[in-house]
Amino acid sequence: MKWLDERLNVSALMASLFAHPVPKRSNFLDYLGFATLFVFISQAVTGILLAMVYKPSAAEAYSSIQALQASTIGNYVRSLHSWSANFMVVLVILHLLRVFYEGAYKRPRELTWIMGGVLLVGTLGLAFTGYLLPWDQEGYWATTVGTAMAGYVPGFGDFLVNVLRDGAQVTGATLTRFYSVHMLILPAIVLLAFMPHFFFVLRQGMSSTDELAEAQHRGEDISKKSSPFWPNVALKMISLVFVVFIALWVLSAIYSKGLGEPADALNKSGYIPEPAWYFFGVYQLLKYFPGTLDVLAMVGLPIIFFVLLFGLPWLDRNPSRSPKKRPIALSVAVVLVIGMIFLTYQGMSSVPKPLAAAGVVAHPSYKKDVQPILQAKCIQCHADIATYAKTIEKVSAGKPADSLLIKRIDGSQEPVMPVGQDPLTKDQIQTFANWIQDGAKNN
Amino acid sequence: MEKSNPKQDAVSLGRRKLLSLGIGTLGVAMGISYLGLFGKFMGPKSVAAATKLQGVGNVGKFPVNTPTLVSYKGAGTDEGVYVINLGSEGFIALDFHCTHLECAVNWVQATKQFICPCHGGLYDIKGTVLSGPPPKPLHRRLVKIEGDNVLIGGRLV
Repeated sequence: MKWLDERLNVSALMASLFAHPVPKRSNFLDYLGFATLFVFISQAVTGILLAMVYKPSAAEAYSSIQALQASTIGNYVRSLHSWSANFMVVLVILHLLRVFYEGAYKRPRELTWIMGGVLLVGTLGLAFTGYLLPWDQEGYWATTVGTAMAGYVPGFGDFLVNVLRDGAQVTGATLTRFYSVHMLILPAIVLLAFMPHFFFVLRQGMSSTDELAEAQHRGEDISKKSSPFWPNVALKMISLVFVVFIALWVLSAIYSKGLGEPADALNKSGYIPEPAWYFFGVYQLLKYFPGTLDVLAMVGLPIIFFVLLFGLPWLDRNPSRSPKKRPIALSVAVVLVIGMIFLTYQGMSSVPKPLAAAGVVAHPSYKKDVQPILQAKCIQCHADIATYAKTIEKVSAGKPADSLLIKRIDGSQEPVMPVGQDPLTKDQIQTFANWIQDGAKNN
Repeated sequence: MEKSNPKQDAVSLGRRKLLSLGIGTLGVAMGISYLGLFGKFMGPKSVAAATKLQGVGNVGKFPVNTPTLVSYKGAGTDEGVYVINLGSEGFIALDFHCTHLECAVNWVQATKQFICPCHGGLYDIKGTVLSGPPPKPLHRRLVKIEGDNVLIGGRLV
């Protein structure tokens, strides 16, 4: 230490990093950024390991992941990488919400917020590009749809799609391009944005330390209101990180990451694309825009998002940081967050669930026997049919043969439902008929 | 200490500005060169290679008014194309990507429609939009009959 100190004056640097006081009311929500950093490091380590066995070409990517999955440790490392990606998205968003709630984006910390915005976009970019790399159906079609959205940009949409995919379609060239973006460009952007983000926090202190500085300025003794960063607060920080670490390792062990069918550009198996869960809100939102307004959803909404994200410190002119004095900003945020959670939930529950083979049910219950079939087979096109109120509109209670629902699924009236998919089994149709025969009750 | 000469100061100030300008110009020039390199390298390539005609089977393989999915071996991957024998109207070929968000459409013989499973877009046998969000008809692809062979090529713009 002395040797280093003589040359680089490290003790002054260490003092500035560790010696400052932190207010006692600071709690674990103030350490979410630190937890995010931990998960990013976890991503870097597991990502490096994966890069050692992964082969970034359309011919070999899938089989290289398959070979990796065959070994327990390989599968575990991949599960960690996949779970960390989810953790990272969640932690970044929680961190953002906490900073928003505390009003910490306001003067003088606007630049820290901007760098945080870059980190959020970088994180989502990493998640999106990583999805394609295993070259399975899920990744292939999610990427096809995700990149197709860029095509809605007026004027140069086709050009953008072409640049993203390195061609008109998602091909092996896209895979290699995404690989380099995922491995080199985005990590570089994240690191370049993280350094100033972190440096600004060190330089200015967390926003909660401002009250200490003011008290000190007034000549008060702050030792009662604060505890030293090292070791008191640092211990709390590492405790939060430890909890995250345990959750990550345990979840990865219990729910290991699987591998779907290999990517098939001809989609012979009739796979229906769906996004990663954190894009489900956007996916659901798109369903509410009629075709002619799609450009608004796919170009307008992202622009509004970017303006809000990067313009927030200047759009919000209210100088107060106390949550009680910012009713408008907080209400807008609450509405947005609840809306997004609702859309995500709706989007996720609109995906068909696999059905247990039940056979014919003699006296079916709506909730137990009928609704699950509707949810599995019908709601993709008929978003609201799996509610009792809507189902009952399509049946005549007690008269299965006269019910539109039955006529459409047993083929006696065109078009046979579900359109474009396998028909329902005889057992399922009979279960529906029995339920209607029993009076189509909401049981 | 030397006494400063106002006239000399002015000269050195001008000199400094010029030097700073020089530093800036050189830096920006180098930066732009790399950006240009990036743009040129990543930019779309010419599509000439993708328009090569490929045989996809005998005319007899395609029954009238029944679209058949065939594979066009594109650069690096299979491209799904529906080949449709319209009888007296001849052959057409349609790219199987929905024009909304490019999910793969399925032909449903019972309703004689192309259906997109993602957001419910519907097209008729010629790829014209019937309902749903798709903004454009299905993309046409080049199709040619040589003797008994059906050949298909790239997208018609």
